[in-house]
Amino acid sequence: MNKLRAFWIRLLNTLRRAHDDEDLAHELESHIAMDTERGVRNGLSPEEARRQALIRLGGMAQVHDAYGGRRGLPWLESFLRDLYYSVRSLARNRLVTAVAILSIALGIGSNTTIFSIVSRFMLRPAPVGDPGTLLSLHILHDGDRCCNQFPWPVYADLREQAKVFSDVAAYFDLIPASISGGTEPERVWRQGVTPNFFRVAEMPMVMGAGFSGSDEKMPLVVLSERLWRRRFNSDKNIVGKSVILSGHIFTVTGIAPAAFHSIDQILNAEFWVPLGMTPQLAASLPPHDSREYHWLSVIGRVRPGVTRKDVIAELSTIADRLAASYPATDKGNHFAFEQAGSLPPSGRSTVLLFLSALAIVVLLLLAIAGFNVANLLFAQAINRQREMAVRLALGATRGRLLRLFMLESLLLGLGGGALGVLLSVWSTKALSSLRLPVPVPLDLSVSIDGRTLAFTFLISVLCGLLLGLAPAWAASRPRIANALKGDAGFEVRGRRISPRNFLVVAQVAMALVLLTVTGLFLRSLESASQINIGFKTRGLLMLSIDPRLNGYSPLKIGAFLAELREQAAALPSVDTAVCTDVAMLSDGNRSDGFTVGGRSAKVDSSVLADLYMVTAGYFDVFGIPRLAGNDFNHETASGPRVAVINRAFADRLFGGANPIGQRIDGGGWTYQIIGVVGNAKSRTLGEDTRPILYRSLDQSIANDPSMMGYTLIVHTRGDPAGIAEALRREVHRLDPTMAIYNLETMDEHVRTAYVLPRVAAMLFGVFGGIGLVLATVGLYGVMSFAVTRRTREIGIRMAIGAQPAAVLRLVLRRGMTLTFAALALGWPAAWMLAKIASNFLYGISPHDTLTFTLVPIVLLLVALVAAWIPARRAASINPTQALGMD
Amino acid sequence: MGDKTDVWQGTLALMVLRTLETMGPQHGYGLARRIEQTSGDVLALNYGTIYPSLLKLEQEGYIRSQWGNSENNRRAKFYELTKAGQRQLRKATQEWNQTTEILARFLEDASEV
Repeated sequence: MNKLRAFWIRLLNTLRRAHDDEDLAHELESHIAMDTERGVRNGLSPEEARRQALIRLGGMAQVHDAYGGRRGLPWLESFLRDLYYSVRSLARNRLVTAVAILSIALGIGSNTTIFSIVSRFMLRPAPVGDPGTLLSLHILHDGDRCCNQFPWPVYADLREQAKVFSDVAAYFDLIPASISGGTEPERVWRQGVTPNFFRVAEMPMVMGAGFSGSDEKMPLVVLSERLWRRRFNSDKNIVGKSVILSGHIFTVTGIAPAAFHSIDQILNAEFWVPLGMTPQLAASLPPHDSREYHWLSVIGRVRPGVTRKDVIAELSTIADRLAASYPATDKGNHFAFEQAGSLPPSGRSTVLLFLSALAIVVLLLLAIAGFNVANLLFAQAINRQREMAVRLALGATRGRLLRLFMLESLLLGLGGGALGVLLSVWSTKALSSLRLPVPVPLDLSVSIDGRTLAFTFLISVLCGLLLGLAPAWAASRPRIANALKGDAGFEVRGRRISPRNFLVVAQVAMALVLLTVTGLFLRSLESASQINIGFKTRGLLMLSIDPRLNGYSPLKIGAFLAELREQAAALPSVDTAVCTDVAMLSDGNRSDGFTVGGRSAKVDSSVLADLYMVTAGYFDVFGIPRLAGNDFNHETASGPRVAVINRAFADRLFGGANPIGQRIDGGGWTYQIIGVVGNAKSRTLGEDTRPILYRSLDQSIANDPSMMGYTLIVHTRGDPAGIAEALRREVHRLDPTMAIYNLETMDEHVRTAYVLPRVAAMLFGVFGGIGLVLATVGLYGVMSFAVTRRTREIGIRMAIGAQPAAVLRLVLRRGMTLTFAALALGWPAAWMLAKIASNFLYGISPHDTLTFTLVPIVLLLVALVAAWIPARRAASINPTQALGMD
Repeated sequence: MGDKTDVWQGTLALMVLRTLETMGPQHGYGLARRIEQTSGDVLALNYGTIYPSLLKLEQEGYIRSQWGNSENNRRAKFYELTKAGQRQLRKATQEWNQTTEILARFLEDASEV
């Protein structure tokens, strides 16, 4: 305690700069006086007595020193002095400091942004208790790609047999439900879970008790914290109350923690009900006793002390046992697992590849920024040589000077890091507001977490130290005698490859790589915008509903949709209204394999086609050309099933033959083909043309209803956005509890489909732009500095008759040499790196000729300008002035 | 000075505390003199070293200081023991006794061999 008290006093003394020497001086004076008095009493002369007193004291200055060292904290004082000096020196060179901090901030900000994405998707553990021992399990079938979900019986077997797990839980992903009452009805998404789900996840409820073991078939619900806040006003007494979901009454038993969206951290579930209750909310779920339907996600809690090896061993034993017991269904199945909350295995490699491309780009950017700043500091260090020489001559150690420089660059690094964090706060916010063109709700929000902050701090410090290293070393070793006279003490003349030239070559080379990647993504966006999607979007407004969630029977849904079409078509500016199940470019709906009627799929060729339900007039509304045969025409549910196929389908299955009138089998039905239409993009923008089968909505709705609701599409003569409210009113006039979603113009809908090429182009565009600016500033800085250093030499050249044009050439040639060297290095590197990007490019080759020609030319021009300005300055040097300079 | 013993690290504080306890409030010069005398003039005490030591004890809260007048009517800074200082003195004395006792036992053993 007393030691701590002493430390605080000393710390305060240091910070207050308390140098109260006077008190000690008085005290010592009285000490000497008393000692002298004693000497005089013993018979010495006053002078001798005083002399001896001083000797006994051990010297005034020494006591003051020792006392001063004890009063404050000497190491802190010296550090603060250095810090003060560094800040002052940074403040004196305001422009250099500002450029340096801004450069570093751009470099670090980009890295922080990308790292926050990495941290969010790759490093963040699931928001469950003890995430390290919670595993997500998958089924892996021999020869198939990873990974399958679980049939119910396999889950049950695993739960019963696996001893490595203390418990195993299952859940069924995302099913929509409508929620009404109070405000506007809304469609929300939920997961069905086994009652032990939250217990296995070790997730305590915010309120309430959650589910207990016997709740399998009870109408209970756990709400997400977000839904509770949004729809129930954070009602503190909600537990035990009833809520109506899709027309069924559920009792609230708990509120899940705010951070929890879903185990995989990407799907955004809003509430959870016992799996036994799911048939009430979603018709046609796979049967519990079938080993063929893979529909459940499974998590297992590893027992304490069980190793990874034990888990692998036991899962493989169980897989073998199941394969032996159920050879028809389970043969060839294995279990795979990963820590819960990891990226789903299906998309992992794509995400990894994209993130590594981004990581390379931002690291390049940071390197360019860093080289820029190193160059600046280098130039500054040369200018400060005289100051350093004076300090050395006055007795400062080189170590002390080194420390000073390091401290300065460390401050630059930390300042840049702080500004970079601010930049990435903004950029992550922008990224989080993006929407992906998929029909289910995702939580993709990215923010700056503690891990990201730690990472940023680390690279800021690293950056600061590395940046300071070279200039610190250079500036702290001037040859004193020369430097004092104002000579550049260490600049060795005649050396062609100085470290500064190396920096600038590397920088421009990296800028070339960066800009090439950027160019590729911009070209990809351009080519994506020229993709022929196969249908027109002008004047179209869409709106989705899912009457099934309100308890409508399929027949009633058909009637409801027909009435809605009629009412919508009667609106003043609307000329046509049609229905489909899921709009195009929504990442698809369902697909089935088809064969020509009467032939077996095994022997003959079959085609996998996307299925859409449509009503009469659909093709005309979308401007999809009808190539042969007829459109639908109000088919009856009982009549023979008919279908319209697209050209890709016809080509694939019939080759050149006429498909009209042919019968095809698929998905358990036989269809007669009545028409052929043009191709259109079905799932995503980037896809190769897919076969599509359009079937009659009226014929299919009864036996094969849509799981994803239905979409009304109207064609208007005016601005489609203007009638959104009128359309909403029409729906609510028919049923005020009907939840409406996806209410947007077709233009908006298609624009979301462009989100991937747009985001890629935006990210790389921003990074490439920053890189270009930094590299330009760097090149300009180097050239400009070189001219300043050579002022005297140029003056002499001109004094003995060199023409300004010759001087201009001299300086330009130097700049161009550096640039050409950089291009020769960067071009092949860019060529190799472009391969990584190829997976994310739409419609252009990774070695796109235009990009690979244009980018070097642009860089060359920029370099020319950056060298031209200082060259002009050099050519206008006045010889007399240059020679008379200091 | 070869025949005198240097003050061991850390023992000066204990001497100061003890001296203040026996003498009551005292100024730096008096303390230094007294410590020298008590040691029978065997200790080589640079009088100056007492001041940082006093500052440390004051920062730790074991003593407090105040300007006053000496017996010769001279202005001097007087130090006195605080409650915490008394406790610390008792503790340190006990520890010191223990140490010397243990050490003494070792040395006795050694001389018997």
